[in-house]
Amino acid sequence: MKPSVRYGCELWQTLAAVPSAVEEFCIEFRRHAEKHLDRPHRFAAELLVREALNNAVVHGCRSDPGNRFRCALRLGVGRLTIAVIDDGDGFDWRAVLRRRNDNVATAATAATAATTAASGRGLGILFRYATRVRFNEKGNAVTVVKRF
Amino acid sequence: MITLTREDSRALIRPTEEDVVAAWAPEYRSKMRGAVADGVRELVLDLANVQMVDSTGIGLLIAAHNSLRKLGGHLAVIHASADILDLFQSMRIHQHFSVSGQ
Repeated sequence: MKPSVRYGCELWQTLAAVPSAVEEFCIEFRRHAEKHLDRPHRFAAELLVREALNNAVVHGCRSDPGNRFRCALRLGVGRLTIAVIDDGDGFDWRAVLRRRNDNVATAATAATAATTAASGRGLGILFRYATRVRFNEKGNAVTVVKRF
Repeated sequence: MITLTREDSRALIRPTEEDVVAAWAPEYRSKMRGAVADGVRELVLDLANVQMVDSTGIGLLIAAHNSLRKLGGHLAVIHASADILDLFQSMRIHQHFSVSGQ
């Protein structure tokens, strides 16, 4: 099978916890994706980057512009890896996974939020689009892997 | 630029390139809230020039839908790309307001 990624790129950055910093990072990633990733995979790849970073801004850094978080991204042959770590208190990702599994077991949506709620979809999108999502013990670091 | 064209109680919001994502959420929120406060009850968002919608953007659309519904109005999204349509369907957004593709 022909690999989707012909070359690769790596981006390592410490970002301020503001949406404009996420946007700048994502626009740079988009430039790399347009160059190295086949078109059908670009939307999912960029969406995963955005959600991983948004999650750090909103939950890890509590949207405090004075806070910062670190992101390492690697786009290799057939694989995107995004690692994000913040200095926040982390969260109980096991509880989120339990709720998600309960929802799947009861044939409800895999999205974590009620469909009329205005927030709470970031993790649902990560689980929907990623091949693998892993958190550290504390819940302040996430690694997202997407295979193409 | 995010433009808003108004006709009676209907309004069309059409961005020239701004994605419906966290960084642009304040602009979209301001336009939508302003329109609803100004009497708009049928709000149409044209995504023809939009490449990306993230979870913040979806939250924004749901909030607009909820506000309009309480007032007897509705939200519609038009010209969404296949990727955005797929995202809306997987998040079950399309069950709440009208979403159509390009």
